[in-house]
Amino acid sequence: MHPDTELTAFVAGALAPAERARVAAHLESCADCRQAVEESRAVLARLAAGGPVPPPIDWGRYGADLRARVQSAGRRSWWVRPMPAVLAAGAVTAVLLLALHGLDRRPVELAAVEETMLGARLPLLQQYRVVERLDLLEDLDAIRHLDRLGNAGR
Amino acid sequence: MTQETSDEALCRRVGARDEAAFEVLVARYQGRAYRLAWSLLRNAEDARDVSQEAFLRVYRTAAGFRGDARFSTWFYRILVNLCLDHRRRGRWWQRLLMRPDEAGEPEAPSLERQPAPPFDPGDVLGREQTLARLWAAVDRLSPQQRAAIVLHAQEELPTSQIAEVLKCSEATVRVHLHRAVSSLRKLVRQD
Repeated sequence: MHPDTELTAFVAGALAPAERARVAAHLESCADCRQAVEESRAVLARLAAGGPVPPPIDWGRYGADLRARVQSAGRRSWWVRPMPAVLAAGAVTAVLLLALHGLDRRPVELAAVEETMLGARLPLLQQYRVVERLDLLEDLDAIRHLDRLGNAGR
Repeated sequence: MTQETSDEALCRRVGARDEAAFEVLVARYQGRAYRLAWSLLRNAEDARDVSQEAFLRVYRTAAGFRGDARFSTWFYRILVNLCLDHRRRGRWWQRLLMRPDEAGEPEAPSLERQPAPPFDPGDVLGREQTLARLWAAVDRLSPQQRAAIVLHAQEELPTSQIAEVLKCSEATVRVHLHRAVSSLRKLVRQD
């Protein structure tokens, strides 16, 4: 049996000593494999001797472009860089304070507006039976049109 | 930093954002990187772009370089993977842009299925032509076979290092090399 795959590895010097000895022993008695080895050797030798040369390149421009790409990549990814711990903690605290402050103030402001409006219209409101539906009091648009609602109810 | 500073030591410095170390590494590898990328892509602009991208990856990820492999192996792996990805993407676009009658053709016909090219024994440039045909045939090999043969014949990497670059076993590299060389032998036989 011919050691096909091992023949190229034999030429490439990629076999362990024991494998190499086994292939070498086979080659002594196999003319076909000897020819395959010679041809493989010729292929690798020619490829190693020289190949097509790539077009010349302006290495100065190559380096300048590469530096620009490195700097551009650095600028683009500034937000993923690790933020210093103190800065990060400060940012988190600021966000939390703003959130708590905002949540705390918003209902107070709304309640103040509603109370002012309802207080101003209380005498009027007392005249309408429709006000028994208290959920309407939450709808300032409904309160604004209570006159029409009241007339419709009569 | 001297010329004797190892690639691995330079890479560790690049990981600490030492730009001078990066410049030295680029100067050491830019010629090889461009040549290897060109051998695999056969387009100067693509080779330039992909080799620069490989250096960019080195700059970004050098901090993660463990140093248990040689820098050259690690770098070649990045570069060869980028080249193979680039070819894959190129094939996709080429297929999309091809005329319908061309679309059914593979990127290049397999060498095994091709008739032997005509050869004129009286040609004084026969040897050079054989060499040109040999490299043209290398271009028609499968991407893995081409990478293996170029890394071995041109970059003189041993099969163990090629296996690390291609992320496969050494036995697989031997198979790639064997198939590549078997395909190319017929051209030498006619010489």
